This record gives sequence, C-alpha cells and structure tokens, in this order.
Amino acid sequence: MKKKIIFILGIIVFSTYSCQKALLYPPLPTSISNQDYAPFSTPARITAQVLALYSNLRSGQLLGGRYQIYNDVKAENWINATNNSVTAYQTWLESVNSGSSEVLNLWTQCYFAINNANLFIDGMAASGNTVLNNPALAANYVAEAKFVRAVAYYCLLQMYCPSIAVNGGASLAVPLRLIGASAYGNYDMAPSTVAQVYAQVIKDLNDAETGLPVAYYTTGTTLDPVSNTTRAHKNTAIAYKTRVYLSMQQYTNAVTEAKKIAPQLIAPFSATTGVPNALQVSIANVFKSPYTTTESIFSMPFVNATEVPGGQNALADYFNTVSTTEFYLNPAGVVADTKWKSTDARRALVSTVSGKNYITKYALGSPFVDWAPVIRYSEVLLNYAEAQVRATNTLDLTAINLLNAVRGRSDATTVYTVASFPGGVPDLLAAIVQERNIEFLGEGLRWADLLRLGLPIPAKGAVASVPANDPNNYIWPVPSSEQSNNKLIGR
Amino acid sequence: MLASHAYAQNRTITGTVTGTDDGTPIPGASIVIKGTKIGTQTSPTGKFTITVGPGPQSLIVSFIGYVAKVVPVSGTVVNVALDPSHKALTEVVIVGYGSQKRQDIVGSVASISGKDLVEQPVQNFEQSLAGKASGVQITIPNGVLNTPPVFHIRGTNSISLSSQPLIVVDGIAAYTGDVSGGESGGNTLANINPDDIESIDILKDASATAIYGSRGANGVVIVTTKKGKKGNAVVSLDSWYGVTKPYRLPQVLDAFQYVALKNEALTNFGYNLATTYTALATGPDGNPINTDWEKLIYRDGSSYNTSASISGANEKTSYYFSAFYTKQSGVLQKNDLNNKAILINIDHKPNKYISFGGKISYSDNQNLAATTSGSLAGEAYNTGGLGREAVLLPPNLGPVNNDGSYNLSSTGALGTMADKGISISYTNPLVALDLDRANNEIYHTVGNVYFQLSPFPWMSLKTIYGIDYINSVNDAFNNPVSNFSTVAGVVTNAASATDSYVQYKRSVWTNTANFDHTFGKHSLSLLLGNEQQQSNTTGFGESRSILSDPSFNIIQAGFTTTTASGNTIGKNYLVSFFGRFSYDFDKRYYLSATLRKDGYSAFGSDSKYGYFPSLGLAWSLSQEKFWEAAKLDKIFSSFKIKGSWGRVGNNNGLGDFASYGTYGTGVYNGQPTLSANATGNNNLAWETSSKTDIGLSFGILKDRITADLGVYKNDITGLIFPYQEPPSAGLPTQPSVNIGSMFNKGIEFNVDAEVLHSKNFRWNSNFNVSYNINEITALIPGVTFFTYSTSSLETASINQVGFPVGNLWIVRSAGVDPTTGLRIFVNGQGKQVMYNFIGNKYLNMDGTPYVATSGIGINQNADAVNYGNTTPKVVGGFSNNFHYKSFDLNVLLTYQLGFYVYYGTQATLTDQRFWNNSTLILDHWTTPGQVAAYPKVVFGDNVSNGTSYPTDFNVYSGNFVKVKTINFGYTLPHNLLSKAGISSLRLYVTGQNLFVFTKYPGPDPEVSSNGTGNSNAGVDRNTAANGRTFTAGFSVKF
Repeated sequence: MKKKIIFILGIIVFSTYSCQKALLYPPLPTSISNQDYAPFSTPARITAQVLALYSNLRSGQLLGGRYQIYNDVKAENWINATNNSVTAYQTWLESVNSGSSEVLNLWTQCYFAINNANLFIDGMAASGNTVLNNPALAANYVAEAKFVRAVAYYCLLQMYCPSIAVNGGASLAVPLRLIGASAYGNYDMAPSTVAQVYAQVIKDLNDAETGLPVAYYTTGTTLDPVSNTTRAHKNTAIAYKTRVYLSMQQYTNAVTEAKKIAPQLIAPFSATTGVPNALQVSIANVFKSPYTTTESIFSMPFVNATEVPGGQNALADYFNTVSTTEFYLNPAGVVADTKWKSTDARRALVSTVSGKNYITKYALGSPFVDWAPVIRYSEVLLNYAEAQVRATNTLDLTAINLLNAVRGRSDATTVYTVASFPGGVPDLLAAIVQERNIEFLGEGLRWADLLRLGLPIPAKGAVASVPANDPNNYIWPVPSSEQSNNKLIGR
Repeated sequence: MLASHAYAQNRTITGTVTGTDDGTPIPGASIVIKGTKIGTQTSPTGKFTITVGPGPQSLIVSFIGYVAKVVPVSGTVVNVALDPSHKALTEVVIVGYGSQKRQDIVGSVASISGKDLVEQPVQNFEQSLAGKASGVQITIPNGVLNTPPVFHIRGTNSISLSSQPLIVVDGIAAYTGDVSGGESGGNTLANINPDDIESIDILKDASATAIYGSRGANGVVIVTTKKGKKGNAVVSLDSWYGVTKPYRLPQVLDAFQYVALKNEALTNFGYNLATTYTALATGPDGNPINTDWEKLIYRDGSSYNTSASISGANEKTSYYFSAFYTKQSGVLQKNDLNNKAILINIDHKPNKYISFGGKISYSDNQNLAATTSGSLAGEAYNTGGLGREAVLLPPNLGPVNNDGSYNLSSTGALGTMADKGISISYTNPLVALDLDRANNEIYHTVGNVYFQLSPFPWMSLKTIYGIDYINSVNDAFNNPVSNFSTVAGVVTNAASATDSYVQYKRSVWTNTANFDHTFGKHSLSLLLGNEQQQSNTTGFGESRSILSDPSFNIIQAGFTTTTASGNTIGKNYLVSFFGRFSYDFDKRYYLSATLRKDGYSAFGSDSKYGYFPSLGLAWSLSQEKFWEAAKLDKIFSSFKIKGSWGRVGNNNGLGDFASYGTYGTGVYNGQPTLSANATGNNNLAWETSSKTDIGLSFGILKDRITADLGVYKNDITGLIFPYQEPPSAGLPTQPSVNIGSMFNKGIEFNVDAEVLHSKNFRWNSNFNVSYNINEITALIPGVTFFTYSTSSLETASINQVGFPVGNLWIVRSAGVDPTTGLRIFVNGQGKQVMYNFIGNKYLNMDGTPYVATSGIGINQNADAVNYGNTTPKVVGGFSNNFHYKSFDLNVLLTYQLGFYVYYGTQATLTDQRFWNNSTLILDHWTTPGQVAAYPKVVFGDNVSNGTSYPTDFNVYSGNFVKVKTINFGYTLPHNLLSKAGISSLRLYVTGQNLFVFTKYPGPDPEVSSNGTGNSNAGVDRNTAANGRTFTAGFSVKF
C-alpha cells in the first residue's frame, strides 16, 4: 500500500514538474523583450521610448555631430587638416563612394531613428494608447515620433537625393518605410521618389504640429526651457516646416508657416504662441551653457561623462582647436567676405591659431558636451525672408527687416535698405544666402543650401569645384550594403 | 549424523586470484561454485576461502576486465590466474542514459579506460585523450597551464557556435570551457581527478548521440567515476613528481648580433649612426649586457601530484572516497596551478527493489599567473605578452639598471639604456612578473543523488538530481611602478586592480524508466525519459585605478576611481523527453531507435522544440550458421556490420537570449530611455547535423585482434550566422539566422591487438587513424567568404564556400631578388612584385613602379589566396604496452597530418623594427648577386617579412608525429610486499612530449593562438612554448 502511494505521488510530482513551460520563455534580466508590446506595458516605458527617439537623432553619427559636419565640410568653407578617412576626409574631397563609412553610417542611423519611430507609432496604436489611457498625451507622443521621422527623412533627402527641382521631383530617392521592423524577415523595398518622400515629411510635420504640445512646463505655467529645446513642441514642427518648404521650393507655404511663429512685420520678431522663440541679444549666449535660450528651437543635448557624442563625432573635434582639429576655415571661404565686418559679433566666434582660422561656437574639448544645434530662430527668420522674396519676386520690406534682424543682432552698423540691392531681387537673395552662410557656419546648413539652389560646390584648397549635374560626386550614393542586401533598391 | 556426513564430505578450499597482466592479486573477484549460487569474493589481498560440497566441483572465477575462468577443484589450494580480457565484447559500455554490452552496441562508441589516463602530467583529463581513440582530435593550444584543448570529434562541426563535444560526467552534463578571467587557463574539467575516472566513452555517430538531442552534434563524451568494488577497503595512493622544461624555443640573436644587425638596418634606412643607433650597454660586472629574455620569462616547471582513495563494498553498500592534490608550476614564470579535490561516491541497495546513492565532489582550483602570456584567445598582440616579449625584446637591454632598479623609460616602457634615437613601446616583463597578478580561483561543486525502484525484474524507474556549481573568482593587479602617466611633470600612478566574481549554477533532474524483456531469441529494451536542465550565470565586479598609496596592491586599498567590471548574467532552461528502443534477435540482428524532443529557452519562440531521431541497425555475421559453414569463423571470431542515420543538434555557444528582439535602456539628458537594441529571430534554432554511418567491427584469432572500421558523412545545415538585412530596415543588430551549411566526411579505423602473450612477456598494441574532410557548402546568400582575424589585428583566416573551415588566407611570395635584395611578393594574378620599405614602394621586377588595380601595392583583399587547411586531415595514435615479468612499458605516439600552421611568430622574429630577431635573419641579403633567405634589412621594415599581412614564407606544414608519453614501471614482487600488508606497489617514470618529429620550425605544431575558435585555427602568433615533462612516481595499494 505504502509503495503504491509513493509510486502515485511520484507520478503526480513528475507529471507536474516534467516541463516547466514558463522557464522556456525567461524574462530578460537586463533588457526588455519586444514581444507582446512589453515596451508599451507601462506609461514610464512609453515615455522612455519617446526620449529614445530623440536620442537616436542625437547619435554622433547623425544630429549629434556628423550630419552637421558633413553638411559643412562638403561645402566650401573648410580645409581638411588630417587626411583621415574616418573623419569626413572623403566627404570633403567630394570622393565618397558607396563603400565609404560615412555613407553607410549616416544612412544606417537615419533609418534606425525612422524604424524606432515606426515601431513606436505602431505600438502606440496596438497597445500604448490603452496603457497610457490619456489620449492627449498619447497624441503628443505620436506627434513627437512623427516629428523625429520627418527630421530623419529630411536628413536622408539632403545627403542621398537630388534636389526636388531636378526631374520635377521624380528622381528615385530612398525607401519610404512607415512600418516598424523588429525581427529577421524580408525587407526588400524599392525607393520612393524625391517628391513622395518630401510629401511624407510634410505630412508628418503637419501631424506633429497638430499633436505636439504648445510647450513643456516644469510646473503649472512655468516653461521648461530644457524640454523646450530638446523635445519637439508645436513651434518646432512649424520651424522645421519653414526649412522643408524652402527645400521643396514651396515658398508660399514656407511664408505661411513662418508667419505662425514670426507674425510681426518689423523687428523684434518672436513667436507669440507656444514657446516664445526669439533671437537673443548676443549670439554667443546661444552656444553657452545652459544652451536653452528661446533662440535654440531644437538642439541635441549632451551631459558631461554620461552622454557624449562619442569619439571623432563632435563638432568641437572638427571645427575648433580643443582636440584633434580635423579642419580649419578655408581662407577663401565665407571668412573672406569683406562685408562680414571684423566688428560683427560672429567674427568673435572665429579664432586664429598659428595663422589658421577655426570657430569657437563649440568651445569644449573632450568629452565634447557642447550641445549640437539643429534649428535656431534666426534660421526661421532667414527662411522666411528668402521665401518671401522668392514668393513675391520683389524687394520685400518684411524680408529686408528679417535680414536686418539677423545681421543687426551681431552687427548693428550694417542696416540694409532697398537701396542696398541695386541689382534688385537677385542681390537681395544673394545677401540672404550669404547671411545664412555667415550665421550658420559650422551648423550644417551650407550644403543643403547649395543643393536646394542647384549651385555647384565651389572649389576649396586642392579640391575642384563639383557642378550640380555631376553624376557621381554631387550627392552621396546609396551605401553598397543597401545595394547588396535590398534587391529592390534599384539605384 | 547428517552433520557429520556433511563434515566428512565438505572441503574448505583456499586460494589467491591474480591477474596475468601484472601478477598482482585481484581483490573483489567473484568465486562461485559452478551450478550453485554459492559464492564469495577475494579479500583485498586477493585471497579467498570457500567451502565446496562433495564430488567433483568447479569454481567460476571472474572479475571485470578479465576473462572468467572455470577451474576444477583439486586439493585444498586453488590459485587462479585470470587473463585480462582483450577488449572483451562483454565489456560494459556507458551510453546515453544507460549502459550496454559492447557486443549489443549499434552505434559508434569508443571507450577509454581510466587506467590509460593516469600518471600523466596534465591539468585536466581532456589533455590526455590525444591519440587514444579514432575520430578524436586533441590539440593543446599553448604552454599555459590548464587551458582547454581543442577537442574535436570527427572534424569541425560548426563555424559560429562551439565545435567542442558535450561532456557528461556521471549523468550530468558538465560545464565546459575556460571560466578563468585571469591569465592562466581555467578549464572547468580540472575538477576531475584523472585517478577517479573509471572509464570514458566517446559517442560519435547519430545512433549514439541523438539521444542527447540538440546538444549531441559535436559528439558526446561520457565520463564515469569510480565506485567501490566488492571486498574490504582498498586504500590506494598514487604520487608523482615531475620537472617540465620548455622546449623548442626559437633561437634569437644575442646582444652582439642584435646591435650589429640593427645598426646595419638603421644605416640601410639612411639614419645617421652618430645620432641614432643601438649599442651595447655595460652591466654591473663591467661586461656588456647580454640579456636572454627567454631565460627570464621561461623556467623549468615542476609538478607534484598525489591522489589517495579508499574504496570498498559489501552486498548492500559500496563507497569510494578520494582526495587529490596537485601543484604544478608551468614553464612560464609565475604560472601555477594548485588544485585540491575530493570525491565521494556512495551506493546502497537495501533490497532487490530499491537502490539509492549519491556523489559529491568538490575542488578548489587555483589558476595563477602574474601577467598575460599573450597565448590565450584574443591576446596574441598584447604588448606585455610573455610569449612575445621572450623573443622580441632587445638583448642589449637589461631588465634592471646597474643600481638594481627596474630599467624603465620615462613612460614606463622598457628603458633603452645605451641606445640613441630608438624608442621602445614594450614593457619590462620583470616588473609585471614581480609585481602584477592575474589570478583566478575556481570553487567547483558537483553532486547528485539518485533513487531507483525496480518493482519488477523487467522494469526499473530511476530519478537522479544533480548539480554543477562553479564560483570563479578573479583577482588582477597592475603595478604602479611601470604604469603611470605624466602631465606637466606631475607623475600619477596608473595602477589598477580588477576583481570579479562569476557564479555558474546548473541543476539537472533526470527521470528514466527502463523496460527489458526477453522471450525466445528476442530481446527488447525500452528506455523512456524526461530531463530538465537549468543553468544560471551571474557575475559582478569592480575595477579600481590610481592607487592612493603606491605601497598597496589589493583592491580593498585606497584608489581614486572605481568602475563596474565583469557584470554578466545569463540563464537557460532545457527540457527534454527521450526514448530508446533496442531490439535484437538471437544476437544476430540488432535494431536501435532513439528519439528526443528538446525544448530550449534560447531558441526562438517559434522554434522552441526540436525532434532528433536516429535509427541504427547491426548484423552480427559471425553468429550466422553460414559463417561457420564457410569456415570464416576460423579467421574471424566475431564480425559485425552496422549502419546508422540520425539527426542531432548543436546549441553549444548559442547566446541565452540570441533569439530575442530586445529594447535596451539609455539616457537622454539625464532621463531614462528605452530603444530597440537587438533584433530577434523567432525561428532561431539549433544547428542540425544529419549523420550517416556505416561500420564494421571484427575480431580475429579469438578476438586477440579486434578492429573497428567506420565511414561517415555528416551534413550540417542551419549554421548560424548574423544575417545582413538592408540597413534601411533600421534594425538595431544583425539577427542570428540558421542559414549556412557544410559537411564532414571521413573514415576511421581502430585496431587493438595482443601481439605477443607468453608467461613472462606480453605486448599489447593499439593503433588508430582517422581521416576527415570538411567543406563549407553555403554561408549566407550572396556571400562566398568571411575572413577572420587573430586578436582583431591580423586577418590570417578565411571561411570560403567550397573549402574547409578556418583555412589560411595568405599572400604569396617568391623569395628575395638577388640584385636588389628586395622581398618579392606575388599578387593575386600571379605577378611578381618587389617591395622597398624606403618610400614604401612596390615595384615591378624591372624596377618600374607597380600600379595595382586596387591602387595600393600588395593588399591582402586583392592579393591573398585561400592557401590551405589548418584542421588536420589525418589524426591518430599508436600505443604499445609491453610487460616483461614485473616491468611494464607504455609508449604512446600521436600524430596529426595533412594541415598547415601559420607561424606568425616568425614574422615577429624577422621584423625590422627594434624587435630582436631569430638567428634565421643572419641569412639576409647584403651584396648584389647574393641569394639570401631574407631581404636587405631596413630599420622599421614591418612589411617585407610578413608582419603587415600574412605571407606564405611563414606558413609551414604542421605534420607531426609526437612521442607523447613513455611510461616505464616496475611492480615489486608480491611476496615481498604482503608481509608489509601491501597488496601492490609499482614504481614508474614517465616522460611526456619527449620528441616531436616535424618540419614545423615553431615550438610546437600543436598550437592555437585563438583557443578553441573554429574559424581561426592553426595560427601560431606569439604563443608561449610548451614543455617536456619527466615525472617519477609510485602507486601503492593496501
């Protein structure tokens, strides 16, 4: 009898514990599984994902440094000092090929940011909205994801695609991926056209403007300057649209957007709704800690020791003399502009060491925790000015006021009037474009300006000029890794 | 009346049972009166007493490992001498979850007796398996103590995962590999005292391994430890002492030769010898300093080993207790192994229904080293690597200055003494040897308990629960004397201490049911089982740097910075259901079928479970009537044909969470973030081996000669590679995907022979040989090859479709141009190109500049070729045992043939930077017309002699035959000892690695700079040499 009981007990114990199914699906000890929408299972995780979307943009490979660096050195204002192919030498030489590391790395990081935004948008619809149980906040978050996606696609359009003016925007651009990828699978996808990708960027930015908060607050109605600089709010989406419409050559639309955050006809210009974005009195203050003035509409934050751009990615490492000093200013570039007066406050941001010029906008050496600017209010004003002139094809007074606002902030002795432009509209446009060249030196806007205007890349040092119709060297090629692993890429 | 009748008729017989092999008494031998169940056992001294009935009687005398004898009783003293069985077919072989008689085995299983593994100066038993069984390749990678050898059964079976076999110790799958975080090896299997091993059974084909399912593809090694044998307590003690000398060290230049050569090289480059030169320095004795760095770094090692055990058993209980201590010092200074281990095995059988028992073993394994040897995987280019510094450091520099202080430069490197204009970045190894530590200590506990119930004779149910726990503690210290930084004249020490603690915990619970039934000529056996295995790894530690006071040297002291180090975590769970059905008819036809279902946590959620079937068939022709009729039995005493097919998996080395898509944490301006950080693959599964085997076993001359011949083909599919998705998919990492394939096919042959057998002289011989071909048939779509580096620097290895795994990827050369003294390389198209270091110029043979299509001279990507295989095609061993009266001699030869070794160290040895050179360099070009082995020496030249890219003049055939061990023993006469109560005493001397016959010029063709890596095997880059060991010892039994 006893034996039988033991035997039966044994069978029961055995059959109960012969397979502990839960152990076959162990919870991850140091990360979170992407199965069953686990990253969306708590409000805190959802918030953390939103911030991660920005930190993907902030990667040193993208807006944390290298995007701005490539845009600057691909244009004419810099001379390479180190011949190091790891640090943008080939970009500067206008000789990148599909195997170049910068071509692969920037592409990869843009799509990483895009895919995470896609995953987030998908996950919110499937699970996160319910978990959050706060429709307004959920809409804010999704809007932020769309903003991030738009920014990343815009970056791809600048580096890898012809201007929208070429071929009526029908040129092949990049694959337009709007659904998140999380596992091994078939990801072959044909590229969309330039016009299609731009249309998506605008769509995302419009959605973002609708969904984003007017501002972030620390408590009550106290503005949170840090979040208002490091996260997107309504004015950020609007500011970005002025940039995108300018690239799309839709000037009326650019003006419409600009007026939303610069409604005045004369200086001082400032946003009257949401975050009170405005020019600062001194440009130098914009590039100093805490980096959160209302002029910095969107910047990439860095924190000493814990959040740094990483080796060979920092703006200061390339453009200042605080570390490796990869580049120095082309003496024949914008610094040679005699109308850029020596008393201009922006000249104070140019340093001279051993006869060579550098910029000091990024002052901190390793570990390089100067914040990386993405879009400033002065750009909105100049976008507005240029769009206004191009839309009206006149020596528009508001446009001249906008130009004066930017110039006058740093150089009170120069005041443009209609009489300053004897050549008419082309003169005014040239002045605005040159103002951008001065104002945003080292901030990664110059190449995008050359591209959208169809201008050749001027010669610099020993590097010859590249005409806008150069089939090989004007824009970057699609990386070879994409060509060999995406059967439908077709370019 | 009855009593007196019985008294009158019964006789008391006494006697002694001895073995004819060594003449020593056999304790625990069984004596049974034929036709009865009456029996007894011999005492520890081999004596027995038994009372037999009236009339003619016979005794059946038997003992495991000996041929049973039937002896008629005549007189009152019956002394019996048993012959050892020649690989007796009745021998029991341990197979997966059970045991079988050898003659019933359908699969391919090689068995090695524990006796063959003892008395060898090794640190773990794996090292002594070389040459012992067919199909088994053992390669000792370097001279550092206790590193796991490369252990391959029937070739390399994986590329990204491990190709090392599953090791099962007493039923529990053991942790394997190196768990040391220090600079000595830390083979987990060092916890097993070779003296405790009863047998090792190596399962090779699918029929034998498929019952291990997703872990069996690389073969399975079953280790069985000793249990007590019937009889009184037997005490045995085995002790030896040995000396190890480093062997075949490269011969390097002395200080005079070095200074002459380097000054010649400096002149050739165009340096002004007035300002830049190497020079002899004057030592404290007034003579020039002439340092033999090899002598400073290598030493004569010693080893001491003692193993003691007490064992015995009665009808109900058996016990085995052992203790083990070994202290070995390696050929590298400060590289020591101290190992203490105990083992207890106890079994109890209170009645015929129940038995239970258990095992507990514990070992404390100290793996000590001062600093890096540069020989473990990933270390080949360590500037402080002892193997490298021993040959590289200039002999005109000394380790200490004349005042006795360390010779250090202003940056903490080796000081340049009388040299001018020469800068040296290498360390002074004496400082590290004196002051640094890179130690590891492993506390290893293995145990199990089992309970077995046999309610009916044909049924037994068994449950066994086992654990394997390892605590690995690492303690490293870098001294403040040679590690410091100087900023603006202020010197800050850069001493550091790093300690970490890693815990490995595994538990295994196995339940099996066994059913046996025999009716008529049919024998059936069915095994059903369930097993669960859980493994958890957790580790943590810290790294501290900049000592507050340079007199401290432990981590608990004051340091200025502390960071986390060695944090690790892992867990996995394997649940299995398995069965084996065995059937034989009349011992003529055999069938064995197995099936295992494995569920493993690391597999993708859509591939959690795998099924692994096998089928084996055998036909014993010698049992057939026609065999006798054809008189074949006159030649073949046994003859069996067998074949098997099955599918087996490999998951060894698959990351615990490799299939998971995960999100990881980060920070954005101080706030937590969560972002995709690993790409999942829900279909990630095991790599699959489909194994087909055909074998032949036969015995000749009443099995005096037995042989096995096997032919196999192993098709491996689903090799795991990181799959390159389009970057625009935006995935965080490349997912692991089962996508590649390759095969191994080969033939193996093993023969055991009793060559001679007379009263005083016996000669037994074993010869085995294995031939294996490996070929990759697919990598990932669109990719035809991958290249692999040694320690992330030199890319000498390639895996290419159509070629074996781990081939060499080498640039070819064509000697030295006699006119110019320049090295001639051969580009990818077969064209000769000269290289001139001055100006870094490549020239056509007519002296015009060479313009390559790739644009930059000779370039490995454009010009290297798939040069040859590094895994030996042929491996094997040849063992001979001689017994003459009380003397015995065993000679084991091992060999590996048909492979190349890249002797990268030779590039170091001929490099024209400040590095010292081999004396080979003396044959270099100096005058036009001269035919020389080496080009004109030019200071700084790191291209011409193979440092910049691996070149064919540093590739050699690795073919070798080694006299691996010679063991010579003398057993003292029994009558002499018995008075002292000693049952046997044997004295012996052993030599290991005595000679190696090879054309390979490096220290040892048995080498691997990349540890057990599959894809970068056969590279000898700055690896520390091995040693030759002589030991003497004794083995005594009471």
